[in-house]
Amino acid sequence: MQRIYIHPLPVRIWHWINAIGFVVMILTGIQIRYLGLIDVLSFRTAVTVHNWTGAVLICNYFIWLLFYLFSDKIRVYHPELSPTKHFRDSFRQLQYYGYGIFKGSPNPHQVSAYDKFNPMQSMMYQVVMFLLVPVVFVTGILLWDVQGFPGAVEFFGGVRIVATVHVLIFIFFTFFIFFHVYMGSLGHTPTAHYKAMFVTGYEEVEEPAQGSARSTADASQRPL
Amino acid sequence: MASSITRWSLAGRLFERRCAGVVAQAALAAVLALVCATHAVPAAAAGDLSDGDKTCLGCHGQERLTKDLGAGATLSLHVPGDAFAKSVHLPLGCAACHADTKLDNHPQTTKTIRSARDYSIAMVEVCRGCHDDASRQYEGSIHAARLKAGNERAPVCTDCHGSHAILPKTAYDTCVACHATAMSGHQKWLPNAGLHLEVVSCAACHAPAPKRMVDLRLYDGAARKWVEEKDGAPEFEKLARATDTDGNGLDATELRNLMAQINGDATLPPKTLRGRIELRVGTEAHQLSEKTRAIKECASCHQHGAEPFQTVTVSITSPAGKPVRYNAHKDVLNSVLSVESLREFYAVGGTRNSVLDLLFILAVLGGLAVPIGHQIMKRFVQRQLALEAANQAAAASRHAASGAPGASGDDGDAPKPK
Repeated sequence: MQRIYIHPLPVRIWHWINAIGFVVMILTGIQIRYLGLIDVLSFRTAVTVHNWTGAVLICNYFIWLLFYLFSDKIRVYHPELSPTKHFRDSFRQLQYYGYGIFKGSPNPHQVSAYDKFNPMQSMMYQVVMFLLVPVVFVTGILLWDVQGFPGAVEFFGGVRIVATVHVLIFIFFTFFIFFHVYMGSLGHTPTAHYKAMFVTGYEEVEEPAQGSARSTADASQRPL
Repeated sequence: MASSITRWSLAGRLFERRCAGVVAQAALAAVLALVCATHAVPAAAAGDLSDGDKTCLGCHGQERLTKDLGAGATLSLHVPGDAFAKSVHLPLGCAACHADTKLDNHPQTTKTIRSARDYSIAMVEVCRGCHDDASRQYEGSIHAARLKAGNERAPVCTDCHGSHAILPKTAYDTCVACHATAMSGHQKWLPNAGLHLEVVSCAACHAPAPKRMVDLRLYDGAARKWVEEKDGAPEFEKLARATDTDGNGLDATELRNLMAQINGDATLPPKTLRGRIELRVGTEAHQLSEKTRAIKECASCHQHGAEPFQTVTVSITSPAGKPVRYNAHKDVLNSVLSVESLREFYAVGGTRNSVLDLLFILAVLGGLAVPIGHQIMKRFVQRQLALEAANQAAAASRHAASGAPGASGDDGDAPKPK
């Protein structure tokens, strides 16, 4: 096994604050939205925790953003500009997760420090980190103080539209958490990716077999 | 509204009876009027005032007209004529409330008024003559309790509603005239306090016993004010009635159609509906309670099916400043069709969109289905692969046993189960 440093410390710190924060946001969001059906926290407590956690997450986002803005590792977020290649590679990745992984086939994507996302991850994280996360933050700030940002609320078309966008993204992230946690367990051992992201920063990757450009091991599977 | 109209009609008749005598006396008191003629009522308002009122204002329109109450105290007898001409009491005229005034002995030098405050308290009985229901509500309020306890600052009718310039005004403006620290006080504990105080009437929380409702009122965002109904040619109610095809109140589709018609002219800035939480019966606002009994629980509004969201009206502001209301279904608050028509009204938890609730359930089920489905697929595929491998091994064994050339027992490219 070859050990490759994939997750730098700032990214690991950001990721775990983000992960815990998003779970708290989802749970308190559910409490806020479904008061009466669920009464674990009072509305006031849920709103307070939701607001403070949101503030922490917004600050935390800048750890991620600043790290990548001032690091050449931002290449991991560069989009694949050839649609043909992107969709061919994505389809191959889908085939892998839908069949190849069950019979021990090698992951078609070989992970490296500058190419840590497979084509589907790459597309998804561009949308998540550059669109959905900022929009959920902005709509959250607007709902936190509707009167403080009348122009921005009007730009969205009104407070109900701001809330609808916020809730739609919340729904997406609720699904995403389940999906992400499961995909993270699909390493060469169920905890391999968790150890790499949580503790070491190193992913264990099988040495490429001689004469085979694509004989990477299961370890190159990355959580979506 | 019907009861309100009836009350006004009764008051009108009462006024007519009282006024007839007073106006006659006013004519007889022409000399008195002539004395004050040089201080005429402002011309703009004069056209709306009755002759009797003009006579009264001939003197009482003077700003410096006062009554000496003794001990250096004075009572202003000035009545701003133009403000009275705009007041909701204009149709009643002076005599309706001041029926004890007899022009044959007016001004009454012997009439004893201890103070302006005493006179305001005494006039409560006059208000009760028409506003009996409101007076009864007031009797149980914290304001009345403080008055009975001798609190000099406890408000009576005229303190909140004015004496002659009686105009419809927002409850907020009325309340903060005395409760000046209302905003800062709420900001200490209430998130989005400014917004709450803007969209929730004071009485909706401070009169906890009455039922509440949502009033969706037409707002002009460009002009930053409530849309006012056309004077003399009201259209809103007619339009709402025409849109309400089944006649049982506006549902979400009908509300959307109504807003489409109101905003039919694309060249004009769009009008929107802004929701306000108010009491279902406005006069019940007089039942203001002790502050400690005011509604403070967020759950009173911020949950699905909360009491204020059981009654919904759509309204426009009349030229007199009062809302003209039309009933709507309570479901309009939660309908996916309302995302556009109610885009400026949303109470977290209370008016949540039912389609989004469904999507949320699907997201959770989908999130669970991914690992479960993938693991089922894994078992299935691996079982199939194992079966194939076993079959191939068996076939190879048979070949080897029969001495078939080329049989080696090697399963070659046969896939291996993980």
